[in-house]
Amino acid sequence: MIGPAPASGNRRSFVLMAAGALAGLAMAGYALFTARGTSTLIVPPEDVALVNQQPISRSDYLAQLQTLYGVDLAHATPEQRHRVLDDMIREELFVQRGKELDVAATDPDVRTSMVNAVEQEMAADAVTSQPTEAQLRAYFDGHRGRYASEGVMNLRDYVFAADDSSSAAAASAAMRSTPPTAESLAAWRARDSHKVSDQEFYFAARIHLGDVLFAAARELPDHGVSAPLQQGGEIHVLYMIRNRRPVPFDFAAARDQVLTDYRNDAIGHLRTGDEAFLRKRANILVADDVK
Amino acid sequence: MIVLAAAWVMLAAVVLGYSAAQEALLLRTDPGAIPARVALAELAAARGRPLFDARCSGCHGAEGRGDPARGIPDLTDADWLYGGGTVEDIEQVVRYGIRSHHPKSWDLASMPAYATARPSARDARIEPLPPGDIRDVVERLRQLEGSPSDAAAAARGAQIFLGRGACYDCHATDAKGDSAIGAPNLTDRVTLYGDGSRGSLERSIEIGRHGMCPAWEGRLSAAAMREVAVFVYRLSHRSAAR
Repeated sequence: MIGPAPASGNRRSFVLMAAGALAGLAMAGYALFTARGTSTLIVPPEDVALVNQQPISRSDYLAQLQTLYGVDLAHATPEQRHRVLDDMIREELFVQRGKELDVAATDPDVRTSMVNAVEQEMAADAVTSQPTEAQLRAYFDGHRGRYASEGVMNLRDYVFAADDSSSAAAASAAMRSTPPTAESLAAWRARDSHKVSDQEFYFAARIHLGDVLFAAARELPDHGVSAPLQQGGEIHVLYMIRNRRPVPFDFAAARDQVLTDYRNDAIGHLRTGDEAFLRKRANILVADDVK
Repeated sequence: MIVLAAAWVMLAAVVLGYSAAQEALLLRTDPGAIPARVALAELAAARGRPLFDARCSGCHGAEGRGDPARGIPDLTDADWLYGGGTVEDIEQVVRYGIRSHHPKSWDLASMPAYATARPSARDARIEPLPPGDIRDVVERLRQLEGSPSDAAAAARGAQIFLGRGACYDCHATDAKGDSAIGAPNLTDRVTLYGDGSRGSLERSIEIGRHGMCPAWEGRLSAAAMREVAVFVYRLSHRSAAR
């Protein structure tokens, strides 16, 4: 025979049910008004407006006030606040209309902007993750050749007529013991090309001298003289006054550039991976005649 | 037992509700007014501290003092490279970053690398400078900040600063910089990179500078970004924060 349930059991059931209902209501209410993508009648505190549920950020609104009127919220007049908000709502409405019209299908500027924006978004993901010192060091060790100071040279490029190889040879030999003077140059019928003026970084000297002469010049020691070099219908003799060769940086000196290069590589990898993913999931049909 | 559990549920709901209300208050308050509202500022800073530790201290250090060897700015002084150091300005950096590849990040100017064939990727008109010119500009900078300098070289450097080097374009003709584009003031002794010596100044001019700070938009909540901004603001206003 089954008797009536004890009063304490009923009360426990009631409390449990009430607590469950309250918790459920609280969670549902919270989720209803805060979940992204949920239609709501309440403007979230981080936004100043919702346009067809699309938020207009409070931060952007404040920045716009500052940009247009040079004032913060406290010092903006009601007209200024209203105008900025109205402009931002108008912009949002037009953007939404643009999506409806699919302007990206027809407007090359919009297409370019969208491509750039997606690339930037991919890059931003890579930038947010901070590499460890060990990762940077490993990257540095793997690319040491990149990290060196730019060399500097101060040299003279003496030019001789193409058919005067004997003067060029004599000059090259004489300059090894005695620096050239105006008189000696005149005697050799040589002239200074002035392609390199005073001190120049290696990259600039390469541009001014050309690859062949630069390759010879960079090997010369201070006060070194090159052998006569045939170049461009003339003979050149290079006299190095001072050659400060590139000095490899240690990790501490190169760290800033290492971090930049590491991130750029990471961005490149991420973009490649994302593009591969986009291609993989896309249904791309190519006409037979252009395959 | 059951009553206790129910009470805990209710308490949790109240705490969550209170926390959400505080976040809403923080977000709806004019950022410029937050420092003056001490209780709100303290709450935001307390919540911002662990976020700063987790997201920012890796570069800026636990105390926010930065690292000149790596070009990481000191957040505890009153020298602001971007903006004027208001909560709103700091929040913009936290949100969108600097050269972060976020479309709204600060990315209007980068220091050219004058010892390269193409000093600026953006402006082909900027030409390389030979080593002698770079040394002259360094003397001019030392003169501007009141350090011992070679007067003749500084005079030549001033010409380069206002002419071929186009340094004035970002740093302004008086070399006091422009925080709207993150161009530092070159007349004070605050150096972002290195120790301010001739060598470190030469190096900055030779290889260029373009530090970055990641964007946390979409990775942190709006409230969290403001909390970090308030925390950083208070790092540089310690006397006011006490």
